[in-house]
Amino acid sequence: MGYGNYRDPFAGRRPEYVVRAGEKLSLSFVVLPGESRDIDIAVDLVGDGAEVDLKGLYLCTGDEQVNFRILVHHRVPGCLSHQLFNGLAGGTSRVRFEGRIVVAPDAQKTEAYQENHNILLSDSARVETTPQLEIYADDVKCSHGATIGRLDEDAQFYMRTRGIPEKEARVLQMISFLSPVTPEGERERVESALADSV
Amino acid sequence: MDRNEENTIIQEFTSGEYKEGFVTDVEQDFVPKGLNEDIIRTISRLKEEPEWLLEFRLDAFRKWQKMEMPDWAHLDLPPIDFQDIIYYAAPRKDKDRPKEIDPKLAETFEKLGIPLKERDVLAGVVAVDAVFDSVSVTTTFRKTLAEKGIIFCSFSEAVKEHPDLVRKYLATVVPSGDNYFAALNSAVFSDGSFCYIPKGVRCPMDLSSYFRINARGTGQFERTLIVADEGSYVSYMEGCTAPMRDEQQLHAAVVEIIVEKDADVKYSTVQNWYPGDAEGRGGILNLVTKRGICKGSGAHLSWTQVETGSAITWKYPSTILKGDNSASEFYSVAVTNNFQQADTGTKMVHIGRNTKSRIVSKGISAGRSQNSYRGLVRMNAGAQNARNYSQCDSLLIGSRCGAHTFPVIRSDNPTAVVEHEATTSKISEDQLFYCNQRGIGPEEAVGLIVNGYAREVLSRLPMEFAVEAQKLLQVSLEGSVG
Repeated sequence: MGYGNYRDPFAGRRPEYVVRAGEKLSLSFVVLPGESRDIDIAVDLVGDGAEVDLKGLYLCTGDEQVNFRILVHHRVPGCLSHQLFNGLAGGTSRVRFEGRIVVAPDAQKTEAYQENHNILLSDSARVETTPQLEIYADDVKCSHGATIGRLDEDAQFYMRTRGIPEKEARVLQMISFLSPVTPEGERERVESALADSV
Repeated sequence: MDRNEENTIIQEFTSGEYKEGFVTDVEQDFVPKGLNEDIIRTISRLKEEPEWLLEFRLDAFRKWQKMEMPDWAHLDLPPIDFQDIIYYAAPRKDKDRPKEIDPKLAETFEKLGIPLKERDVLAGVVAVDAVFDSVSVTTTFRKTLAEKGIIFCSFSEAVKEHPDLVRKYLATVVPSGDNYFAALNSAVFSDGSFCYIPKGVRCPMDLSSYFRINARGTGQFERTLIVADEGSYVSYMEGCTAPMRDEQQLHAAVVEIIVEKDADVKYSTVQNWYPGDAEGRGGILNLVTKRGICKGSGAHLSWTQVETGSAITWKYPSTILKGDNSASEFYSVAVTNNFQQADTGTKMVHIGRNTKSRIVSKGISAGRSQNSYRGLVRMNAGAQNARNYSQCDSLLIGSRCGAHTFPVIRSDNPTAVVEHEATTSKISEDQLFYCNQRGIGPEEAVGLIVNGYAREVLSRLPMEFAVEAQKLLQVSLEGSVG
């Protein structure tokens, strides 16, 4: 018996990562100014209790082109996936985020979450985001969220009324925006790149 | 509650009857089956159309011939044999009394709850344009409306009586070569409604179009054109049904809405085409293009749709926010059951400054159906301070259905803000348990929860539509406990 229009996303390609029962995969991506990147990652969750945690940050200030293509496939029941990608796009950069979560038929008790947040820093930067959910099982908790916006002016005003100069306030805002996706070991490098960008 | 009991309830709940599935036995005129330039000329001749409209049709047909059927939707679309469709079917007029409505037609619409006689109905007064297969049967309250300068009539009459208006606005929002089905519609469209609200006029009653497919082997290709001039207001409603048949029937409509400066249009749809039987046989293929433009500053267009019918739905009511400070909303409840498939959503294209849009989409899938939300939010470079918020929720009932979300969000302007969120889940067992322990049966509880889930959208509907929509939700989904 067919299941509507479900197609195995790995019928035509091999996943970069296969996560088996009880395993946990954590990946972090950091893209800093001057780097154009195509990041294409596919994860197949194939065993009970498999977990994946993907994080990404990008900071574009010139003419970078950054493309993310993320696919997480829940093949079996009882797996968990988390994705969080935050980035800043300035200059004339182009950012594309394509995220796809597929929950196979019978992959019950799945939990899958995905978020992609973007801030545009310049008139000529462009961001396009397509977070996609394809769900063929019913006992699941899945959500995705995507935003494109600007640095919050109220927060900036608050800091400036307390004597923090504009430039510093912007840097602080950007640090806090990227903080949830900044790996511990990269913190210094990311913060100095942010300071340089303002 | 054990799994078996759940299954029985789902069974009962999802086998609701389609009560509009009867056939009206009237004599009808048909054009021969098939699609070619001669057929188009025949349709145009039968409708006594001017030369420019025939040219418009033929031009669209030539474009259509060069196009390919789109395959990007998340649908298993059966191959459509366009030569096997009758493109024009009209109930035969009584030669002795050409002005009167055939009592059988009047009875049909009466049975569907659509009053063709001008009278007050419970929730207020509604003017109706009733379309039966390829022709408009009647339009009520035309005189009352005409006193205010409002034009509300069938598309065919508009072509004859107000050719300048039709020509000025036709295909300005949906060009004839816009997409495969819009091109097909532009070539063979039969009837539909035309509505013009003059400057500063607030339409005193809701306007409504009711579309009924009756004849076998036909397709319905209606075209609706709504023009709201500066500072005017209109609330427009659209409803539709079709008989139960084993064959699938094609419905490819085009709706265009022009909203001038400071005008306000509210467009509501309750789509209840025959969805096919429990095994997925028959049903309407509902492939429509609906688009509006907020042309002037401060214009406002709001779409509300309740989609419960059709075997396949392919529909994206969209707004082009061209005027500064214009705003648009899209509220949708889409229910699929058995083998139904829906790929529906909206497009909000922000061009003007300070434009605002809001999207609330609630998908409910049951049985073996597939229900997708597909949307585009685009902030163009000039859309200073534009704002969008989208919320797309899916509710799954039963383990064999699917719910999908495919939004595209693009921003070219650093002052614009776009937010999108989506969730997918099943009916919470806690909520069911809560209802059950208070003596509300499982079936009623599901109805209650689904209605609560869809409330935000249903509350936007004009009153009598809201009542109908709530009943429809009960019928097409009652008792599904997942």
